[in-house]
Amino acid sequence: MSLLAAIRPDDWNLPLFLHILAAMVLVGALVLVATSLAGAWRGGSAAAVRLGFRSLLIAAIPAWIVLRATAEWLVSEENLDDESPGWVDAGYMISDTSLLLLIAATVCAGLAARRADRGEVQGGGLSRAVVVLVGIALVAYVVAIWAMAAKPS
Amino acid sequence: MYDWLLFLHLLTAFAVAITAVTYSAVALGAPAGGQAVRVADVCWNVGGIGTLVFGIWLALYVDGYEVWDGWILGAIVLWLVATGTGERARTQLAEGAPGMATTHWVRTLAVLGLLVLMVWKPGA
Repeated sequence: MSLLAAIRPDDWNLPLFLHILAAMVLVGALVLVATSLAGAWRGGSAAAVRLGFRSLLIAAIPAWIVLRATAEWLVSEENLDDESPGWVDAGYMISDTSLLLLIAATVCAGLAARRADRGEVQGGGLSRAVVVLVGIALVAYVVAIWAMAAKPS
Repeated sequence: MYDWLLFLHLLTAFAVAITAVTYSAVALGAPAGGQAVRVADVCWNVGGIGTLVFGIWLALYVDGYEVWDGWILGAIVLWLVATGTGERARTQLAEGAPGMATTHWVRTLAVLGLLVLMVWKPGA
């Protein structure tokens, strides 16, 4: 059983590599956003607010796009289009819902960065909102990682 | 058992990725101090130990793998390179020494190499 679990066709390797890489960049960027903005709301610098915003815009959202595109590629390679198992559905549900969280977090972080650039209070409520939104997304991604590893169906 | 080992191996690999992303931001000019780097350093410690322990455990558990398989030995060598350069990058950043960015990119390449080996498993 454990041997079977470790075998997969070579054709799946490239989309799988890109899928995992995008997921890693996405999670890494979101943790960077959370730690930067959590620091900012506790009296950090405007630079930390800008870092959080740029991490979302330049790293997290592009990584989400690659993650989602390679998910489609993998589903197509594995012929799971018609009757997808539960773990695939869970992945879709988590990734699609998390996009809304990422968009909301990016808008809030952008507004916080704009206020910080004008020398106003360092984000405050907006920074907290971003940390909460990103935190929810990260918890969902841990569930997704478990679903992709355990493949319950 | 296999599912949980793979999940924990992946989760600790994601911790390594958190460090790689944070240090990449610093190497590209982001503010170097503060909470983000501290969290990244903790993730590096947890991810480094976790990927090695759960990776070797997986190699012992899965019937088709052996710890002395070429791709696993290659992964251990890359893990050692990543660990060495990661520790050096951390020290260089803390001391404000030059060359942190270069050291970090070498570490990142080693981490990418590890991911390539884990996916393609050449010779398995």
